[in-house]
Amino acid sequence: MSEDRKRILGMLAEGKITADEAEMLLDSLGAPAGEATRETTPSPSADWPTGPSAAGTPKFLYVKVTGGKDTVDVKVPLSVLRAGLKLTSLIPPQAMERINESLGEHGMSLEFDNLKPEDIEDLIASLREMEINVRSAEGEDVRIFCA
Amino acid sequence: MNAYLPPLVVDVCVRETGSRNFRIWLPFFLLWPVLLIVVGFALLVTALVDLALFISGARYHHYTLLVLGSLRVLASVRGTHVDAVNDDSIVRVDIY
Repeated sequence: MSEDRKRILGMLAEGKITADEAEMLLDSLGAPAGEATRETTPSPSADWPTGPSAAGTPKFLYVKVTGGKDTVDVKVPLSVLRAGLKLTSLIPPQAMERINESLGEHGMSLEFDNLKPEDIEDLIASLREMEINVRSAEGEDVRIFCA
Repeated sequence: MNAYLPPLVVDVCVRETGSRNFRIWLPFFLLWPVLLIVVGFALLVTALVDLALFISGARYHHYTLLVLGSLRVLASVRGTHVDAVNDDSIVRVDIY
């Protein structure tokens, strides 16, 4: 049993957290909840995928931070990315130039005006294969993927 | 049309050890009438500007689409979920 699971179950035993909260914490660790919490209502993040989807167009971007003091789960619809990228093609050229200049000043030589609307779906579909795993010196794990 | 529907409700839930839990539903749909008036007015103005730019031969005349695109970005945040948990507290935010 991992230290995190022990700590969560300890907090449940001490009455510091409810069974619901314990289950949510255990789910966020990516492990199934124990017998003591199995009968409670699952947290929304319990149904989230644990890794990139194998097929189909991804629908959400997931960011999971575990292993440290805080556990964070973020789910953002990829429709935000789709709508945002489509919006860049509608930005007036003068404004776009200033955006590109500003991005360049900050070390990001990314020109959004080169991105065609027809490329957006391909870009989003290819995000299915993206997975970023970062482990900090403090032992925090950060996972970013689309599913 | 659904793609242009702004968020209905934002659900914020905070649970802290040793203090009262609270959950608040922010009814964004109550702002829809105001948004409708603002967007309607903006679309009217941008349509006139675009028409004037088009007639004058300007290369760029997409301000109306820009307003609609911005509305679409706002609408697309529906479905966002944030869960932050530590030893003492749980914060959950859902946008519906």
